[in-house]
Amino acid sequence: MADVTVIARPVTEGTRQALVLTEDRLGHYPEFRAFFVRTFDLDRVGLSEPGFVRAPSGMAYALVFVGRSGEPFPSGLEINAIVEALEPLDDTAVDTDLWAILGWMIGGVGAPWTVEDLHATGRLYRIPAAG
Amino acid sequence: MTVSALENIDGFRDKWPFAARYARVNGWRMHYVDEGAGDPILLLHGNPTWGFLYRDVIPPLVSAGYRVIVPDMIGFGLSEKPAREQAHSLDGHIANLTGLVRQLDLQRLMVVCHDWGGPTGLGFAMSNPDRVRALTVMSTWAWPTPPAEFHTRLVPWRMMHAPLVGPYLLGRHNVLARRGVYLSVVDRERFRREAQPVYEAVMPDAETRLLTWVWPRWIPLDDTARAQARFAWLEAELAKSRLPTLIIWGREDEVFDAATFAERFKRLLPHADGPHMVTGRHFLQEDSGREIAGLIAAFLDRQGGV
Repeated sequence: MADVTVIARPVTEGTRQALVLTEDRLGHYPEFRAFFVRTFDLDRVGLSEPGFVRAPSGMAYALVFVGRSGEPFPSGLEINAIVEALEPLDDTAVDTDLWAILGWMIGGVGAPWTVEDLHATGRLYRIPAAG
Repeated sequence: MTVSALENIDGFRDKWPFAARYARVNGWRMHYVDEGAGDPILLLHGNPTWGFLYRDVIPPLVSAGYRVIVPDMIGFGLSEKPAREQAHSLDGHIANLTGLVRQLDLQRLMVVCHDWGGPTGLGFAMSNPDRVRALTVMSTWAWPTPPAEFHTRLVPWRMMHAPLVGPYLLGRHNVLARRGVYLSVVDRERFRREAQPVYEAVMPDAETRLLTWVWPRWIPLDDTARAQARFAWLEAELAKSRLPTLIIWGREDEVFDAATFAERFKRLLPHADGPHMVTGRHFLQEDSGREIAGLIAAFLDRQGGV
């Protein structure tokens, strides 16, 4: 999904991070954890800073990696929308962005995982963003 | 959540007139219903349902002279719903059930198992055989990998609960209660009208749906899976068990198809009665609740009755 791009830390003054999706078990399929380690150089960066992406709405998201003693890092991941500090979320835009982020992730994880299969699953369960 | 949150759903109380009871088990608040008097029957649901799945099964069994106990698994229904994935494990859920049975001091139990109510209920039964009189298995499994070809498929099964995808599809969009169950009943219009609003309402927010994507992750797909040893133990214990067992299966069940699963239970427990086929896909209680109750009551009658 070319609509999602990794970006440097955006200007965060006047914003807040709004938690929109949580994953407690990023390594359930280890290739997913490997994708984030590779994409954000986590073996070097560790917990020192989140990863940032920009999604189709133009909104930036902070990917906050979570460590758990005794498990490979990162064990979990929180996706936070970076929004104007005192403004409510546009939940529809967030949902579409999250779907795009999932597609970007699946595309990056690679075979046997495919974006086409993600979309097929989304359509089966009638996810609006899946079309 | 309490039962009062569901009372604005049309006809809910007509379908679910049972008193809500709560017990503190294994550190969690568990909701259950306890109706009737006589030898006890424990009705166990799985993912993503709750005791409501048995609404048509309870009254006939009570009328037949049995005490019927229907707990909501911790994480589902009106029971406490832990907020973290790490709160859930197969062993922990078996311990939850064991805690309830011991608290109520249930003896001579018929344990009726469906979906994840199978590994938990059978795990309880195999570790507490002195409290159990008989078993019923319906659309479930009790052995290591792979449970079904369906569970090895990337679409939809593995994709549905993949990292981040699971919390999105099953958490934000509640697809198991909203669409998954609907696709796994025979009379979909009746289900949509009478039951779907209840299943959706009992999991109103993403956080309350956690177990819907955690349970799929506990299904062993290879030898390294977390629950592999527990399922191997379960299968070995069942193979030694002589408990009277009833097998009931949905004729239209495509996920846990009868030819694979009911027959495997029959090989594991050759003395079992059945499989008795009823109208139903995976959630066969939705289509054949009263017939299932009749089969259970008749089976217990053959074992000596109440």
